[in-house]
Amino acid sequence: MPFEVNYFDGKSSRTHKATLSVNSLAFIVSYTNENNVSVVVSWEVSNIKKSGIYTKDFISFTYGDSFPFQRIESTDKNFIDYINKSDQKNLNNSLDVMLQKSKKRSIVFLLLALITVGISTYFYVIPAVATSFATTLTKKNVIDFGDYVFRVLSTELEINEVATERLQEFADEMTIESTFPLKLYVVQSDDMNAFALSGGKIVVFSSLLEKIETEAQLAALIGHEVSHIENRHVLKNIARNFSGAIFVSVLFGDINGATAVLMDNAHMFTQLSYTRSLEKEADIFGLDIMRESNVDLHGMPQLFEILQKETAIDVPTYLSNHPMLKNRIIYTEKIANDQGEFITNTILQEKWQQIKKSLENNDNNE
Amino acid sequence: MEIISKKHSTNPSIKYVGKGVEFAIIYFKNIILTILTLGLYYPWAKVEILKYHYQSTALDNSRFSFNATGREVFRGFIKVYVILILLYGFLFYSLQTQNEVLMFSAIGIFYLFLLLVIPFAIHGAVRYRSSRSSWRGIHFKYLGDRAEFFWLYIKGILLTLVTLGIYGAWFQVDMRKYIFSHLRFGNLSFDFRGVGGDLFWINLKMILFMYPTLGIYSFWYYKNLWQFYAENTTITQDGQTINFKLKVEAGDVFELLVVNFFLILFTLGIATPWVAVRTLKFFFRFLEIDGEFNADTIQQAKYDDYDDAAGDDALDFFDIDLL
Repeated sequence: MPFEVNYFDGKSSRTHKATLSVNSLAFIVSYTNENNVSVVVSWEVSNIKKSGIYTKDFISFTYGDSFPFQRIESTDKNFIDYINKSDQKNLNNSLDVMLQKSKKRSIVFLLLALITVGISTYFYVIPAVATSFATTLTKKNVIDFGDYVFRVLSTELEINEVATERLQEFADEMTIESTFPLKLYVVQSDDMNAFALSGGKIVVFSSLLEKIETEAQLAALIGHEVSHIENRHVLKNIARNFSGAIFVSVLFGDINGATAVLMDNAHMFTQLSYTRSLEKEADIFGLDIMRESNVDLHGMPQLFEILQKETAIDVPTYLSNHPMLKNRIIYTEKIANDQGEFITNTILQEKWQQIKKSLENNDNNE
Repeated sequence: MEIISKKHSTNPSIKYVGKGVEFAIIYFKNIILTILTLGLYYPWAKVEILKYHYQSTALDNSRFSFNATGREVFRGFIKVYVILILLYGFLFYSLQTQNEVLMFSAIGIFYLFLLLVIPFAIHGAVRYRSSRSSWRGIHFKYLGDRAEFFWLYIKGILLTLVTLGIYGAWFQVDMRKYIFSHLRFGNLSFDFRGVGGDLFWINLKMILFMYPTLGIYSFWYYKNLWQFYAENTTITQDGQTINFKLKVEAGDVFELLVVNFFLILFTLGIATPWVAVRTLKFFFRFLEIDGEFNADTIQQAKYDDYDDAAGDDALDFFDIDLL
């Protein structure tokens, strides 16, 4: 059965009303040209190019290895039907034909698939890729990155040289198996804070150090920060935050402002909960370091109590990205209560006294 | 010959016949594939989406055809991203050295490159898109000269900077003029006859009336702007000029934009494909061809087989849309 098509010879835009007969090897186009001459054109099926897109009730093909290309267009339902059922891959779009058959069902199916793929990519694939990136980065790269950040930050930090030296001696006395060279700094500041940089640098603010009462509490602080460094938490956090933010903005950024803002905030919340999980990991790992260093594990919950007391009225920065301090006190205390017998590390006690002294001297000098 | 061709001349209609559901299926399918491949499928997705819009646009009952391939666009995509990664790498490397001379020159090179690459990207994109677009087998073609367009762009940017943006309207018109006057469709040629002063006036009115009317004036602004672009575009066929009319009112613009906005907002973006179809339908509903146009006598011209899609991909990166 011949089909109705419009044939274009590629030389001009003239429409030739044509009939098309099809067999498994060729398309045969026949028409009468403007000079009333019958023309028959044969297309080898293997050389026919489909348009590569589905639109209802319309189909088109081009033909020819070299310019100008010939073309047929058709709205003949029988022809469209024939092509849709054809098993020749270069002629039909079987996936599209299938999807477009029952539109409502396809939309529901695709939306569900989109949501599933989107969510699992965001929650599983991207974090896994980001984390593995952070883990496989070489030691040297990690140290270089930390050094770079520190150089930028250090212009704004007022380092207390003497206390820094004492704090370093204290940390060196602890039993820490670190892949990164640890370097500690005491910085004059009223903020109750301490942070670790990738590659081994730890910055402790003076006001936090002044509030600490025992060597066990200081060991808890250092243990916590060291485990951030050892586990590459900063890098993991940045990599996840960055890649997640890119994913969200690529997916929603083009849509409109309101949706983008909504999604950006959602991303911020998931990121916050990830940061909290890293903090918990650092607490547990920090307790191990304390145990190895022969100090009282109760230093950890005590440290949190100090922070809780101070930050309740003060700046809430420390709180915001840490698990609820109350929670942390409970789970670290539980672990601390199970600590067996140990010989108190007297060297650390001495070193702690020296730090105290250096801080007092500093205060007196001012 | 004259007499015969006159008899065939009509006012052919141009319309968009795409359907929201149909396009949504194609759109979602492509987004899923893009996510699954972590973005690598994007070039194919982009091509398929453009193919849909082309094949849904009918001029005198024949559809347009976009003949690009995902592979070509992918090659351009790789080129653009390799260059960008090298550029960012150089920038980060020099920032990390803390060497001030190197840092400032790196930042300078970085921004200068981004600025200077735009005219090349526009040129490449227009040439690629034209080469891959056809109707009834007749191909479009862009004959612009890359260096000429580059200097036009540099002149425009500098004058715009010097005049604190005032020259911007003339600059935009100049670029459009250049592109359209070098655009061919078979033996048909295009032109853009708008003048910078008109565009400047349209923009100035927007700035003056936008705030006093709490933004309501923007519907008139878009009406004026779209009409300026559409009605100054001309096509010449055998010495005859064909114009366009965009018979749109501010109320229509209001309906389009407000409904689009709420559709997207309340569906968290799921309505995006429907909005795209609505918008295209809108433009082609109001677009009329004004003048005698013979749809049957366009002659094919020499083919410009330009397969470098890097310009097109770079514009994507800068989020610049053609037309």
